[in-house]
Amino acid sequence: METKEKSVTEAIDNDYKYGFTTNVESDTFAKGLDEGVVRAISKKKGEPEFMLNFRLKAYEKWLTMKEPAWPNVQYPKIDFQNISYYSAPKPKKKLASLDEVDPEVLSTFEKLGIPLEEQKKLANVAVDAVFDSVSVATTHKKKLMEVGIIFCSFSEAVKDYPELIEEYLGTVVPIGDNYYAALNSAVFTDGSFVYIPPDTISPMELSTYFRINTEETGQFERTLIICAENSYVSYLEGCTAPQFDTNQLHAAVVELVTLDNAEIKYSTVQNWYAGDPETGKGGIYNFVTKRGKCQGEKSKISWTQVETGSAITWKYPSCILQGDGSVGEFYSVALTNGYMQADTGTKMMHIGKNTRSSIISKGISADHSSNSYRGLVRVGKNATNSRNYTQCDSMLVGDQSSAHTFPYIETGNSSPQIEHEASTSKISEEQLFYFEQRGISRENAIATLINGFCKDVFKQLPMEFAVEAQKLLTLKLENSVG
Amino acid sequence: MSSTIEESKNGAESAVLTLHKQFLDAGQPSSDFLPFNKKALDVFESLKFPHRKHEMYTFVNTKSLADTSFSLKTENLVQKNFVQQHIYAGCERSHLTFVDGTLCPELSDATALGTSVKIGSLVEAIKDESYKNILQKSIEQENDVFASINSAFMNQGVMVRVGRDKQVGVPLQILNVSSGGKNGPVMTVPRAYIHLEPLSELKLIVKYVGDGDNYFVNSVQDIVVEDNATLTHIQIEADSKEAWNFSKNRIFLRRDSKYLGYQTVSGTRLVRNHNEVWLNEPGAEMELNGVSVLEGDEQSHQFIRVHHEVENCTSHQYFKNIINDRARASFDGTVVVNQGAQLTNSDQLINNLMLSDEGHADCKPNLMIFADDVKCAHGATVGQLDDDQLFYLKTRGLSEPIAKEILTQSFARSIVQKIPFEPVVKELDETLLKKLEGNHG
Repeated sequence: METKEKSVTEAIDNDYKYGFTTNVESDTFAKGLDEGVVRAISKKKGEPEFMLNFRLKAYEKWLTMKEPAWPNVQYPKIDFQNISYYSAPKPKKKLASLDEVDPEVLSTFEKLGIPLEEQKKLANVAVDAVFDSVSVATTHKKKLMEVGIIFCSFSEAVKDYPELIEEYLGTVVPIGDNYYAALNSAVFTDGSFVYIPPDTISPMELSTYFRINTEETGQFERTLIICAENSYVSYLEGCTAPQFDTNQLHAAVVELVTLDNAEIKYSTVQNWYAGDPETGKGGIYNFVTKRGKCQGEKSKISWTQVETGSAITWKYPSCILQGDGSVGEFYSVALTNGYMQADTGTKMMHIGKNTRSSIISKGISADHSSNSYRGLVRVGKNATNSRNYTQCDSMLVGDQSSAHTFPYIETGNSSPQIEHEASTSKISEEQLFYFEQRGISRENAIATLINGFCKDVFKQLPMEFAVEAQKLLTLKLENSVG
Repeated sequence: MSSTIEESKNGAESAVLTLHKQFLDAGQPSSDFLPFNKKALDVFESLKFPHRKHEMYTFVNTKSLADTSFSLKTENLVQKNFVQQHIYAGCERSHLTFVDGTLCPELSDATALGTSVKIGSLVEAIKDESYKNILQKSIEQENDVFASINSAFMNQGVMVRVGRDKQVGVPLQILNVSSGGKNGPVMTVPRAYIHLEPLSELKLIVKYVGDGDNYFVNSVQDIVVEDNATLTHIQIEADSKEAWNFSKNRIFLRRDSKYLGYQTVSGTRLVRNHNEVWLNEPGAEMELNGVSVLEGDEQSHQFIRVHHEVENCTSHQYFKNIINDRARASFDGTVVVNQGAQLTNSDQLINNLMLSDEGHADCKPNLMIFADDVKCAHGATVGQLDDDQLFYLKTRGLSEPIAKEILTQSFARSIVQKIPFEPVVKELDETLLKKLEGNHG
């Protein structure tokens, strides 16, 4: 698999060098970060006063904070003064047809089963009018507006709906929450904003992919989703296609708020460039703070993630179960190979009465990678009759890889039911033999076993995502086993 | 980890340093121990008392302990009948009694052990290179600040060495009596070195009791189990209500050796057991069981590290806590399966039974796995009595309190009954399980 994997990533890498490169370098701030830069970003974006204050407060807080050392990952120290904190959206160079795209990239798309038109979009090929992302987005936007759903970029939202932003921004992830969240709060450039009005079921699954201005949201992305009473939305982030970015550090913040009886389902598929599989050089640092607050009674937040890329993943999508009877869910598949390191998991904070949470985490580590699950289940004093079920399974592929579990369970009253279980296993020779004996090739056998291992999570994904995610895992682990 | 420790504001560390100076001035340590005492003090200074977010003490608040200034106990007065009532049947002629960390020959009797077990002072043991090496390493690599305090103040202690191919038939009891601090809190530092030579067997019962209040037992045990040897280690903490008990067991297991540990906590102000086990050679096996029954403001904390260094080793951990009133229990256990430790079989199971709303149960069952052909599992639960089970008993005509009592007692009994020494099981029925009678509802 090494060679194949390498050629794929190399192809993406190479392709980037002459294909995705931007030729406009104007309107980019000089490297470095100080109060002036924070002010300048805010000014550049024409933000109201409260946004500037928010940023400045975050920046001040950030200065007093230390980079966290507790995650189970190793990386060279990041020089925060060596990053440019603002760059205007850059148009990408369009290719005339798919023939110009590297065949290796195309074969990756093929294996993932990405539809032709979507392939074009991903490879940055100009698409015909019907499938042009802008027109698709416009149609979608129109449909959404009919039911009153706001779905736009964060900058637009700051301009058009400042009262919503002011009310909710930073209420779930406070500016001083952690080092990277503070940094993000100070310097974020753009992201997505969604507001679902009361008594509305979103007519479609919202996806960053269809939003206008998705080209360059920058490395400090900010997402805020508010789901009002009795509403429902399913939001998809990322895609299965391999993605490359010049920014090595990504520190995004995602905040979700659900009011009474509302539900948000947030699905992520992440496949950033993971660095050279032979040496681990390069690759994205994905330090993300994702948190949802079930503010209303009987509200629900469900996180589903498939993490297969990035050199380092540091991510804990969490739920604050504040409303009585609220529900939090976390489904995760994290696959690491090459020299990738992942420290991911969730936090379930039970505050309200009769709150429930379930955590299903599947970690697969191959080659020289390290995969950690870190989770916290905290049941507060007033969270009577709460319930948690946690299951975290690890699968090891190859004797140089490692898998870790660090669950924290803290209980402060007598009525909760908390169950935690974890197991570690490998694909056994017997299982493979059984398949081969029935005429199924080793490759297919492994694919089937891995997919079986992750089934509980995949079935939570929206359909087309699930199909792609399955193939993605198979592709990533090709020739890794046996 | 230690680099981020904040400076203690109240100078809790300096109190220990002053005490150590008195200890040296009094000329207590023997000249063989002196370099070790000094080294350990350096280690203590570099570790410092844990702050609130220290990873090893996430669930244990040691602030009040660190803030208490202890003196060292010198006079040791305990009545003979007090000691005798704590000697188990079968150990009448095979027990060693320590009063405030000092061996009392007049209260000890080891005649039943004969020549198969060599018992001596650590002053003697330290002359042997093998122990010297173990001690050196354990002091230098110490990660637990309280164990480093023990090493800094140790001046005697006991060595128990079982000879090659000796299967000791009689159980050996070590009784640690604390006479308490009548003029302010005192600290005692019992230290033991248990060594089982190849093919030997020993059943060791270590019991902690108090004949007074206001004391801190800070003990360290270095345990080596050589090839094919088996050690059964029963540790009973039955201290006075106003006592702190910190204990560290450092256990090294060689080829095909076996360690069976049982730890019971019947509740004091603060108990913390730190067990660190190294499975150093193939075929080594260890099992650790624990049960604590807590009420009032009692606290019991388990901190466990199991290192699977090589292939084909097994480790099992079973712990149960019953928590009533404002009591707190925690379990922080990590199994590390190192690279090359293939075919490891390891499991961990922690069950917490909560009987009150003010109680606290915290768990952190960690796994760190660096090998791919292993079977590792852990499970942790926190819950209360099962309604169906209660209902079942009530349909059989039992009153609710009685039904609850039966269920809570049997929850704890499943660990108690595993203890392979009848007198201890009987005693725990009378003490530990007695606590579960009546007053909960």
